[in-house]
Amino acid sequence: MAQKEHLRNFGMLAIFTIVLCVLPSQINLYLRSVIMFTMMYVVLSLSWNIISGYTGYVSFGHVMFYGIGAYATGILVVDYGWHWVPTLFVGVFVSFVVSQCIGYPVLRLKGPYFAIAMLGAAEGTRVVATVWESLTHGGLGIGLPNVENSFETYFAMLVVMLITIGVSYWVGHSRFGIRLNAIREDEIAAESMGINTTFYKLAAFGLSAIFPAAAGGIQAYKILYIDPETEFFILITIYMKLFALFGGKGTVIGPILGTFILYIVQEITWIEFPTAHLIAFGIFIILVARFMPRGLIGYAINRGWARKGMVH
Amino acid sequence: MQEKAEIRSKYRLAMFLVGAYTIPFGIGIYTDNVIFDLQWLADLTTVLLNGIMQGGVYAMFAVGLTLIFGVMRIINVAHGEMVMLGAYLTWMFFFYVGIDPLLALFLTLPIAFVIGVLIQKLLLNAVIGGPELTPLLITFGLGLTIIHIVEAVFTTDYRTIPYAPDAFQITESIAVGRSKIISFVMASFISFSVFFFLKIHRIGKAIRATAQNADVAMVCGINIYNIYMITSGLAAALAVAGGALVSIQFGFNPETGILYTLQAFAIIVLGGRGHYIGALIGGIMLAVIESLISFMIPNGTAMVEIASYGLMVFVLLIRPRGLMGPKEN
Repeated sequence: MAQKEHLRNFGMLAIFTIVLCVLPSQINLYLRSVIMFTMMYVVLSLSWNIISGYTGYVSFGHVMFYGIGAYATGILVVDYGWHWVPTLFVGVFVSFVVSQCIGYPVLRLKGPYFAIAMLGAAEGTRVVATVWESLTHGGLGIGLPNVENSFETYFAMLVVMLITIGVSYWVGHSRFGIRLNAIREDEIAAESMGINTTFYKLAAFGLSAIFPAAAGGIQAYKILYIDPETEFFILITIYMKLFALFGGKGTVIGPILGTFILYIVQEITWIEFPTAHLIAFGIFIILVARFMPRGLIGYAINRGWARKGMVH
Repeated sequence: MQEKAEIRSKYRLAMFLVGAYTIPFGIGIYTDNVIFDLQWLADLTTVLLNGIMQGGVYAMFAVGLTLIFGVMRIINVAHGEMVMLGAYLTWMFFFYVGIDPLLALFLTLPIAFVIGVLIQKLLLNAVIGGPELTPLLITFGLGLTIIHIVEAVFTTDYRTIPYAPDAFQITESIAVGRSKIISFVMASFISFSVFFFLKIHRIGKAIRATAQNADVAMVCGINIYNIYMITSGLAAALAVAGGALVSIQFGFNPETGILYTLQAFAIIVLGGRGHYIGALIGGIMLAVIESLISFMIPNGTAMVEIASYGLMVFVLLIRPRGLMGPKEN
């Protein structure tokens, strides 16, 4: 039974991958970028989902890791003349180290306090990126060498997205994920059952920190200019949170679905209504939190449109 | 054993606060910003006085947040946005109608009270007592909505209200901005009126009873949903009053709200969650440390924001109760 389900999910993912592999040569530069950014938000919302959906620690500052990745790529490419691919690994490593250093104290806080502390940490990182001019060029930002890179970044993002989906799927179906769920449901009970909660929380936090860094690095190479205001923009956290919540947090398919629906909707609307679409997003967050706390997937399960195990 | 841990955490918090106030001095000495002559001492006094004046205003809007938290156990992330909204309301009355910013309080406070009551009635009443992250997300979405509505109406330009811009000379070399003094006096007046309202008035007593134990309060015949609405309205009014007093001192734009949210949160964490006097003390302490940082450290004004985050995170880690909060359960 489980075997069959894994096989089916794998088949779906394979079809999805083949479509995304064939697509870029068929479409124009603009659509290629849109799909690349959609995949980027899939990465972001899935990794947000690992710490916030599976583990239940809702982070309001995940953009921090994204910005760190972007800055690692920007600094190494411009100031040290590296090729851009190895910089992604540096970004991932730095982001992992930062996540462990911050996570060790901050993951002791619960619920809203963790959320606010992460919000503070992200804003603090932004201030550091602005003030530390010798490393980050301060508020001026970094301009990267201008080359045509839409195919490279597209496929790099595709690889990162597939790895993220794979890891999320593994988290959702392994003992590791079950332990994280146990922490989410009742941390004290989980601890008394012999789960080393500190280790698992830190591991989940580390996992959820490395993929945004890779995504941030790729997008820095794609958009060719980074500065603290855009790379640590709080709206990016809002987007990843909203996409994951809308699809259904704590599942793999939820954030993917949520991102593909909402990102494309927002891409269409923001051209027409640059501010109004953010007002709509704010209202939308309220409505989702109020009436659909478990997202599309939870809604489908409640209505009996999907079986519970089917959608993980 | 418990008492020992209690004393130890108190001791650690004291050590941390002493450290937090010494570090700016240390950096100042390291970068040669500290010269022990009379002029420097006068400057320092000015900075400290300005900080205290500033703190009164911070304390006032933090009190709103602490009220909501104490009564409903909700963290209102849109509180800073209410402050920002208050600044814009005052600006609007000042520029379009020509009403003095302080007199405009008579108009803005009722509006704010109604907004707070509506938020409570429409959004928050249904989710109290549920999972604690739902209200967080709802207020977050509310904050986003407020920011972008204001942005759509007033654009992202910085606005200022030119109100009493001159300085009040205390001695030859110590001066405090007149608008700062006015807002400090107003803020203290409002804070203490709310304090006495909570202590003496019947509704105030009902609010405190609900904060202590909502179920028992309900049994005693208090309609707690009305109390929730009054609390929310009061908190919104305090935030908007804070916005009015901030607007006559600094420029503001729609994005400044989040900074006030974080400051207010840092203050209530430091003072003790749900504790009134704690919030007043915390506000002044935060403002003083902020002004010390911007005075001592070169390029320090950009680092001011770090003060509130650092203070908040460390206090949460060292002693989650803060200075005078109730025991965590």
